[in-house]
Amino acid sequence: MTATPVRRDTTATGTMPPRARPGRGGIGRTHDRWWTPWLFLVPALAIVVVFILFPFANTLALSATDATLLKPGQFVGADNFVRLWHDDRFRTAMTNSLLYVVCVVPVMVAAPLVLAALANGTTRILGFLRTAYYLPVVMSSVIVGLIWTNLLDSRGLVNQVLDWLGVISEPVPFLSGRWLTLLSAMVVTIWTGLGYYMVIYLAALANIDPALYDAASVDGAGPIRQFLHVTVPGVRTTSALIGLFSSVSAFRVFGEVYILTGGTGGVGGQNITITMLIQQEGTGLQAETGYAGAISVVMFVVLGLLLAGQLWFQRRGGSR
Amino acid sequence: MSRTQKTLRYLVLLAFFLLLAGPLLWQLSLSFKGAGDDLYAQPPQVIPADPTTGNYTGVLDRLPVLLYVLNSGIVALLVVAGNIAGATLAGFALARLRFRFRCLVTGLFVVALLVPIESIIIAQFLLVRSTGLADTLLGVALPTCVAALNVLLMRNGFQVIPAELEEAARIDGAGVWRRFWHVCVPQVRGVMTVVAIFSFVGAWNDFLWPLIVLSSEENYTLTLGLNRLRGTFYSDPRLIAAGTIIALLPILAVFALLQRYFFRGLEAGGIKG
Amino acid sequence: MSFRKPARYVLPVVLALALGACGIGGGADDSETTVSGEVKGEITFQTWNLKGNYADYFNGLVTAFQNANPGTTVKWIDQPPEGYQDKLSADAAAGSLPDVVDIGPEAAFTLANAGMLLDLSKTDPEAKASYLPKAWDANAFPSLGGTYAYPWYLNTGPSFFNTAVLQKCGVSKDPLPATFDALFAAGQKMAATCKSDATMVGRLPAIETFGAYGVPLMDQAGTKFTFNDAKAVELVSHYRNLFQAGGMTEETLNKLQTGEVDAFKAGRVGWLPGSSYTLKDLKATAPKVAETVAISPQITNDKPNMYIESLAVNAKSKNVATAVAFAKFATNKENQLAFSKQAAIFPSAAGALDDPYFTTDDGTDEAKLRLESAKAVSEAVVYWPAAFSSKSVDYLREQIALAVLGKKDVQAALDEAVKYADASLPKK
Repeated sequence: MTATPVRRDTTATGTMPPRARPGRGGIGRTHDRWWTPWLFLVPALAIVVVFILFPFANTLALSATDATLLKPGQFVGADNFVRLWHDDRFRTAMTNSLLYVVCVVPVMVAAPLVLAALANGTTRILGFLRTAYYLPVVMSSVIVGLIWTNLLDSRGLVNQVLDWLGVISEPVPFLSGRWLTLLSAMVVTIWTGLGYYMVIYLAALANIDPALYDAASVDGAGPIRQFLHVTVPGVRTTSALIGLFSSVSAFRVFGEVYILTGGTGGVGGQNITITMLIQQEGTGLQAETGYAGAISVVMFVVLGLLLAGQLWFQRRGGSR
Repeated sequence: MSRTQKTLRYLVLLAFFLLLAGPLLWQLSLSFKGAGDDLYAQPPQVIPADPTTGNYTGVLDRLPVLLYVLNSGIVALLVVAGNIAGATLAGFALARLRFRFRCLVTGLFVVALLVPIESIIIAQFLLVRSTGLADTLLGVALPTCVAALNVLLMRNGFQVIPAELEEAARIDGAGVWRRFWHVCVPQVRGVMTVVAIFSFVGAWNDFLWPLIVLSSEENYTLTLGLNRLRGTFYSDPRLIAAGTIIALLPILAVFALLQRYFFRGLEAGGIKG
Repeated sequence: MSFRKPARYVLPVVLALALGACGIGGGADDSETTVSGEVKGEITFQTWNLKGNYADYFNGLVTAFQNANPGTTVKWIDQPPEGYQDKLSADAAAGSLPDVVDIGPEAAFTLANAGMLLDLSKTDPEAKASYLPKAWDANAFPSLGGTYAYPWYLNTGPSFFNTAVLQKCGVSKDPLPATFDALFAAGQKMAATCKSDATMVGRLPAIETFGAYGVPLMDQAGTKFTFNDAKAVELVSHYRNLFQAGGMTEETLNKLQTGEVDAFKAGRVGWLPGSSYTLKDLKATAPKVAETVAISPQITNDKPNMYIESLAVNAKSKNVATAVAFAKFATNKENQLAFSKQAAIFPSAAGALDDPYFTTDDGTDEAKLRLESAKAVSEAVVYWPAAFSSKSVDYLREQIALAVLGKKDVQAALDEAVKYADASLPKK
């Protein structure tokens, strides 16, 4: 295989299409100096280390103290984590955020691909439609909140239509029911995410060899079979990446629940999410930075586990 | 594709259009409503009863919108340039070069993706302040001028380039920079476009971070400036809607202009079959 | 990423600042004694969202001060409405607070607790005489042992009733409900006739509602909260009964002040505890409701409620003397009066409310409202305790919601809210 002493084919996505096997030509000629790759990496690495990782190391350190925004605080060991364990709101938040990942991620991986495949093409009308599909991503959250609360309110459009159809006798509490509010927020998330992930898929679709479609068409495959047998496998690594991105953002959901509950986290705080909890505890003048740090650390670890699980799952699927 | 299939396709596309773009119509209508319109009428009214363009002139009269657009433009330019350059370089190294600690570095970018921003924003501010960049546009742009998400996107983009392409260049004696610039970069234009769009939108729409960094009004970005439309004691939703439409236009222009690069993937590289 | 994080929506009511305060350990830094030094040099003066409508007033104020005190420069910074709390906290953490800062009592409490604000009871005790005593006392924090800001403007407001809604739901508008009992009785009646089409009440009680209901909120020394007594249970039980009779929708359990105002504008709520600028707002955005609105005195079992905004001085200011001089200048009777006449708010300077502007009726709706509110201000108190942080505000609302839903006992819910608020008081 390769001349390098370190085995290295274990990168984040397990299933890869044909890719470079740079070892073959001899590592010496691949790049001139050992530090060449680092030259490529320096700008990105510098920014990420200085502005993300270093501050996060600071958060890690804070999580073991009783620090507040304006007072440095003292070492308290695992006290914050013990407090978390007994905090009802933390449990609620964790449940909501995890549920969010489970329900939203599969849709986010699949639906935007369908949309991208349908909207793929160079005609002017398709270009216009794609721009329109991207609108929810960039619209002001105030307006998004106004629109959705108007739609889902107990006297909103959706309830009016359901009533008119005779499906319901009592208005459905889309914005106040414990689980319904979460479901409504998921709908808003998907509504925004469609355009966002469609863009990533569009770029990936451009890399699928058109000859594959021609071949499938010669074999008599219709559009649906072409989609399943050419498009889906063709964007596999991108799907994996979108799985990663959408898991992270679903777990960190904030804006959708925030706007639908008018900034309150739902009736009695039942719809609070982890990010909302961090926001409540860790921002503002009376921020408990130590405690909020502990929540952030737990959030980070859970997300890490979630992604590791996903990766494992994909690997198993990919090796078949 | 048969005619029925085509019709079906456009029907689905149209349904998505109504679903995704419909709400903009509502915002647009709000921005044209005049003093005679009851904004809280039940059921809500889409067509203004008293249409006016006064809300737009009102926004332009009240605020130095051009100055804010210029500031936002500078920040967005820095962020877009930083992300395209930084993420492309790093993505290439992670996907196509072999070196010690490659996994570790990839891991660092994934870790950075997971870090909750809420918990580090004050620390970021203290950093920017200590470099003397508080209240500057560069200070606003700096922490986001290479995002981990974009690095991972670029890495994925570079990974799917067929090995044969680079191999051929290598046999011709191309060094790593030439292979990067002449062989691989043309293949990932689509992904670079995605990075450009994402970083532009992120920079253009960000509110909290510029608010914390900036204190002089002459440095305000558009989102900060438009926030002034919310009155102290009461605010006019019509003005706010007009303001958000103004802020939306550049984003839509950028998207509409850039999206054609999605489709330049393979043809530019010159590989067939 | 695809998830925009809207900075907290800010209430349109500048005085209902969600700026929290919550004890964070340790006592205040009480090392300062008196302010010395010349009134010279540059200071920064920060306001919150006042530039849009009152730029001329503030530019004039700054110029007048600079002219009266040669050698001084005042740099006026006005922050946009959203995210003020985040901006303040970033500046506080960096130790770069402005020299003079526009602040509510909760924020003043937190900053004072961290030793960041000048203790006026030590540096300028005579100033007390220049302000309404209750306004001065709003920034006097017994648990910290000092007074930390110069009172600036006050606001209060009457009750607004949508008479069309009342009529539709069988509630007489003559007389309008004037007491809590009458309000809840009318609410029950509306529930019976109108179901959830329109309700009397559009929001759960907040801490100041408890105060107006006659619940003692804190002990004298400011060391513990007391809003879990029988009277408080009675108030929450009223809401619970109302909800269970259908006189409040589930959605209202979740509403902040902005949500309540929106519901009122949409004609779904009969009663809105408003402020002196509510009428102007209604006329501009919901003209139909404005036509049918009736105004009556604020509902209270005790004194009416009001809110206060103050100017605090950064204890670490390089030109403390200048900062103090400017804060006093901006809050003196003359300048406060001038500001009150431009904005629909009320002055806290002693004697300013005796101005003819607040005592002469010129026959307009606005003047009537102004006079009524001014009268209320002279009686009103700031119920919201400065030590009651915005986190406690959220927690209290959540606990009350659970109790009203019937998921929790009222007493237990209030006990928990008290416990939560107590935990955030400065530790001994």
